[in-house]
Order: sequence, then C-alpha cells, then structure tokens
Amino acid sequence: MSLFTDLAFEAGVVARSLADYLSGGALRLGVTGLSRSGKTVFITALVDNLVNGGRLPVLRAAAEGRIARVHLEPQPDDAVPRFPYEEHLAAIAGPERRWPASTRRVSQLRVTIEFERASAWGGARAQSLNLDIVDYPGEWLLDLALIDKSYADWSRETIEAARSKARAPLAGDWNAYLAELDPAASADEAVALKAAERFTAYLRRARDATYALSTLPPGRFLMPGDLEGSPALTFAPLPLDGGEIAAGSLAAMMERRYEAYKTHVARPFFRDHFARLDRQIVLVDLLAALNSGPGALADLETALDGVTHAFRAGRASRLGAIFRPRIDRILFAATKADHLHHADHDRLEAALKLMTSRAIARAEGLGAEIDVAALAAVRATREAEIRHNGEALPAIVGTPEEGERIDGQVFDGVAEAAVFPGRLPDDPAAALAGEGLALAEVDNSWRFVRFRPPMTQRGAPPPHIRLDRTLQFLIGDRLT
Amino acid sequence: MSDDRPRPRAFRLDDHRVAVDDARAPLAPMATILTEPEPAPLGDDPALDLAEREVEAAQGAGVAKKPRWSLATVAWVGFGGLVSLAVGLWVDSLIEALFARAQSLGAIAVAFAVLLIVGALGLLIREIVAVARQRRIAELHAALARARAADDREAARALVGRLAALYARRPETARARAEVEEARRAVIDGRDLVDVAERALLKPIDKRVQAEIAAAARRVSMVTAVSPRAILDLLFVAAQVVRLTRRVAELYGGRPGLFGFFALLRSIGAHLAITGGMAVGDSLLQQVVGHGVASRISARLGEGVLNGLLTARVGLSAMAVCRPAPFEVDKPPGVAEVAPFLFRKAKGE
Repeated sequence: MSLFTDLAFEAGVVARSLADYLSGGALRLGVTGLSRSGKTVFITALVDNLVNGGRLPVLRAAAEGRIARVHLEPQPDDAVPRFPYEEHLAAIAGPERRWPASTRRVSQLRVTIEFERASAWGGARAQSLNLDIVDYPGEWLLDLALIDKSYADWSRETIEAARSKARAPLAGDWNAYLAELDPAASADEAVALKAAERFTAYLRRARDATYALSTLPPGRFLMPGDLEGSPALTFAPLPLDGGEIAAGSLAAMMERRYEAYKTHVARPFFRDHFARLDRQIVLVDLLAALNSGPGALADLETALDGVTHAFRAGRASRLGAIFRPRIDRILFAATKADHLHHADHDRLEAALKLMTSRAIARAEGLGAEIDVAALAAVRATREAEIRHNGEALPAIVGTPEEGERIDGQVFDGVAEAAVFPGRLPDDPAAALAGEGLALAEVDNSWRFVRFRPPMTQRGAPPPHIRLDRTLQFLIGDRLT
Repeated sequence: MSDDRPRPRAFRLDDHRVAVDDARAPLAPMATILTEPEPAPLGDDPALDLAEREVEAAQGAGVAKKPRWSLATVAWVGFGGLVSLAVGLWVDSLIEALFARAQSLGAIAVAFAVLLIVGALGLLIREIVAVARQRRIAELHAALARARAADDREAARALVGRLAALYARRPETARARAEVEEARRAVIDGRDLVDVAERALLKPIDKRVQAEIAAAARRVSMVTAVSPRAILDLLFVAAQVVRLTRRVAELYGGRPGLFGFFALLRSIGAHLAITGGMAVGDSLLQQVVGHGVASRISARLGEGVLNGLLTARVGLSAMAVCRPAPFEVDKPPGVAEVAPFLFRKAKGE
C-alpha cells in the first residue's frame, strides 16, 4: 500500500468512527467466522434469546433481573440490508427445522438492550445499550489476508499450495492448465476467463465438506455476491518466477485486476466492517476440519491466522473510542459443541486454543482480553449414555441430517439416533499431527455427524450451550 | 491413533433392538471431598484469593476444627467422667432413700430420672448434629471455592446440589433451587455453575443477613447512647452479639447448639484477628474519623457509634464464616454498606 492510499484509508476509518460516535455510540460486535462456521445461527440465537427472554443464567444482568426490555431497532447504515432475523428463526424453529442457507450478502441488525444499573448507593438507573451486529458471507473474510499481499506474492503462495501433496489431487485440472499458460504472452480475455474458471472450480472443490479446506482466497470467487461475471473476478495466479511483468502481457492484466479486486472489494469490506469493532467473536467450525483430517486443521489454522492479523486489538481508551476503536475483547468459540458430549468440550477448547495460540499471543500482547469456549448457539442434541456390550459410551441424541453417515449407517433426516462420535485425544497436538486430508472414517477415531435443529416449543428460544457465558464475556461489562 | 479407543458409532432410536430409558439419569454421585482444615495460619493454595484463605483459616480455628486429644482434653474428660459418676451416685442414693420412705415417692423419682436421661441424650444428639452440620457447611465452603478455582464441572455439579439440599426445607427458596437444578442439568462450566448457585440461592439470604446486622448495629448504637451505666452497655452489646451470631448461622442453614456456638465464636474471633489488619485500609479510618466527628458532638453518641461499628464488624465476620460458599459474584459487604447510618453524623442517630 502506498503512503497516500494508506492515509486516505485511515482518514476514511476515522471519519466513519466519528460519525458513529456522534450518532450515539453503539457497541459494535464483530461476528467473524469462515463459511459454515455458524455466524448466521449464532446471531439469530443471540437475538432470539435476548429479545424473547431465553434462559441465560450466566449472563449477570439477565440473572439478576436487571434487563427490562430488549428490542430490535432500525440499523444506522441505510445502505446495508437488514439481517433477516425472523426468516432465519422461522427456518430453525419452524416446522421445517433446517439451518439457514449460506449467507450471500452483508446484512446488519441493531439490538437495543434496556437495562438498569445497580448503583452502590441503592436505587436504579435506567440505561440502554445498542448492539450493532453484522452478518456477511464467511468466504469474504479470506480477503482480509490479501490486503497487504502483492500479486506476485499471492501467486507464488497459491500455486505452491495447489501443488502441495494434500491439494494436488484436487487441483489436477487447474495445475495442468496452468502449466500451459505463458505469463509473458499478450493479454487475451478468453484465456483469462478460462483460467479464472478453472481456478474457481478448484477452490470450490477444495471447500467441499469432504475436504473442508479453509485457506482459499479470494473469497468472492466462492461467493461472488453482486460481482458475478465482473472483470474484477476474472483473474488467476500465474507462475512469475520473480521476473518483471511486461506491459500488455497476460500477467500485467492479471495483476491489474488483482489490484482492482483489492481496492474495490477487499479494502472497502475491511473498512466498513472490521476497522471499527469494539468486541469480536471468532466462530470456528473445528468439527468439519477434524472429520477431514490434520491437513484441513493446518489449513484452518493458516486461514484463522490470516484473518486475525486484520483485527485491531488493544486496550480501549476514551479517545480511541471516538477516532480509532480497538477490539478489547476477543472470544474464540468452537461452534457446534452440541455435536459432541460435554465431557469432550474441554478437549475441543484445548484444540482450538492450540490452533489459535499465535493470534491469542498477539492480541494479549496488545492488551486485549481473550477467552476460548466450546459453544452451541442452538443446541440440537441432548445427552445420553449408550450401554452396548458392557461398555458405557457417552452419547448425544438428535436427528442427524439426511445423508449423514457413520459406522455404515446412513440417516434419512427423520429418525432420531444416539450417536457416539468418538473421543478427542487428551493431547490436542495429537489431532493436528500429520497432513492427511479427507480421511476415511476408519482412519479417524472420531466422526462428527451434523444434526437438524431441535424441536422447540413455539415462541420459546431454542436451548443453547454457553451462549450466556459468551454474552457475559462480550457485553457483560457494559451491562453492569 | 490408538486402537483401544471405542469406535464412533450410532444407534437409531426406532431400531427394535434399541431400548430407550427416558428416565432422567441421576447426576453424578455426590463427590466425597475431603478437605484438610488449615490451622489458623493462612493456607497457601495459590488458586484461592486472600479473603478466601482468611475465611478458611478462621473456619479451621473453630467450626471446622478437627477434634484433637490434647492434655487439656484428657483432663476434662477425666473430670467430666468423675462429675457424671458423682451425679449418678447422688441420684442413685436419692432414689434409694425415697423408696425407703415411700414406694410411690421412689417411683416418681425413677420417672424423673428417666426424663432426665432422655432429655440429656436428646440434647447431646442435637449438639452433635449441630456441630457436624456446621463442619459440613465449612467443608462445603472450602470445596466450592476449590471447584470454582479449578473450573471443575463435575465437582461443581455435586457441590451445588449439596448447597441446594441445604435449603430444601425452606419454601421461599423453591424458585432458586429449581433454577440451580436446571443449571446443573444444562452444560455449564464449573466456575459459572458455582456463580449461578451463589446468585440464586445465597444472594437473597445475604440480604436478610445484612438486614439483621444493620438492625443489631442500630440497636446497639442507640442503646449505648442512652444507657446510664457502662456495665449495662457491655451486657447489652454481648447479648446482641450472641443473638446476631446465632441468627446469621441460622439463616445460612447451620443452626449452632451450645458447643457449636462456642466453635463459631472461636472462628469469628480468629477471623476478626486475621482481618483486623485489613480493616485499617478498609474501614478503620472511617471508624476513627466517624468517631472523632461524633465525639465532638457528644461523647455518649460517639461511644454508641463505636459499639455499633463493633457489632457490625462481628456480624460481618460471622457472615463470612457461616456462609456455605465464598463471596465470588459480589464483593463481601463492608461496614459502610451494612450500617451506613453509623457514618451519617449530622443527623445524630
């Protein structure tokens, strides 16, 4: 980034923070997570539990009965669509009992919490807290890692990754096409289009649940949003080998488009949604990566590291709150904790802690508070014990999704089942060792099945695991 | 991956070979948690904070003290035995003498003797039960503090259940107990579970205890201010302290008998002694200042305030020692919070 664009960018951030502050300083909660980590479900459950008075015993203000009313308000940004909370809730708690479809665009919601502050001298003071929450396609998050990367660097890394042992079988088609390409040839739209197509196809394949890879930038290739077919999306990495990029060549065209992507897609996304956060929750779906194997876990680790680099963590200050907000609390949450027995939650947390240790050390060094939790915003299962051949296995009971399979059983999405998903290793490093990918069931000592949302009573928020603890950590101090 | 781990598998509930037992599974068996009561010097468990170690040291000096055979104990047992024998001998000769005088008088004397034995036995059992209950509460306190510090979910589940059982005979805690029971069944971490239980069960009791302390402090300060003789003050303060201590112990669930009460007093004394140093920063300054201002208005009034403060301090120590769980959700109350009227001098209470 040149100095000028840097300055212009910072000025933009400051201007927006100031505008936010003047319009009545809300707490901006960043809900971060790669695709399929459960951002939409988390936001929906959070809002539902607050608005409809769910059971939140660990959230202090709620347990002490100090929350008077919670309601939704029109969000401050008129240009951003509203988060379709009612629609998502109907999908989860309605008769269909399905998880919301993957998010395709940015949306926003403002929740106002009216509460009373218990003062030390007796008496109560009415207060309110505005909570701004943003939902967006998780794929776009990967673009944050691109902001500081040049085209040459990105090309080299991406091509190396595609040729690595784990990914080579997935990228065969793309690698073959790439070998024919000559970066020095004159620019040709047809070639660029074809290259982008094959590159995108490779990324899509790698994201598939069987492989569960995560480090797949640029994000818009997977979820184009309103940019479908635009020239900003018709580029691909090229083997440059450190050579100069000649004007008019294919490489020059690709580089121009890559830079355009950064300027028009990646940077505005960061500026509008990440540069001005107060609190941050990072949702991580470890279970899919655990199903796939250590290769997918390592990949997830890289992706998380790239994303958390973009956080502006640090101790909050009064002046900073006006001009340059900092994230002073970050929670790393392993989502879908209801898919395993609670006895394994500690191990899941340990694994997440190990995988995000670099990001944690960085943020703690800057003075931010960090916590790690196993979370289920909507608890789809209940716990049970299987006694089978004299063995007692801690199990979970729920309705597995259609097509899920375990131990030779294939589920139809209707029958309930008691599932023993296996045990995670005591030492989290054991799960991360190796580089296997898309492992068969026999190669792992665990298998996590996806479940359908639970049956809920009409109007009552669905059960959850540690959603209250999460809220207490993220916003509890603002409700004292 | 090792092969001795059980394989992942699933059982369909509509399978005819699968039987579902939908009865609520009993929670984990109550953990037997043995705690070593610490001698009056503070324990050095790094997981616990200073205030908690002080409370435990104080409990160790009284309510949770292990019976130990010292020379004094041996001597007292010997003396007690001799006294009982003497009493027995006297009763025996009395009954014999009465029988010699008239058959009916002897029969009446036997009946009275039986009543005496039954009553004394009853008293003895009640004392033993009271002391054991007190000790149990102190152990629960220590175990809860450790489970919370270690974030131990299973231990917290069992202990919180015991805490709720302590108040099972009090109808006004029905809702709180239901809340705690629900939290035990949900997946909540150990630390949070202990906090939930403390908030639900103990906070309402804390309020009542604080009201008791405030009432006692107010009574003491007013009576001292108007009483004509110093000895009357002393008696009144002593009576109020005894009454307050018993009341605090009762509210928290450990009704002390006579011996239990002595143990409790020892604990309170130890707690006052240990935390006395802290009071300098905490409230002694205010006490001195408050006293100074008050005594300028009137010497009697100043004395009343001082006695009130003393009563409040004893009450707070009793609260810390009798409470079945450590103060974690909120800070323990100070003198200024329970008896703010002692510091408002202008009104001249």
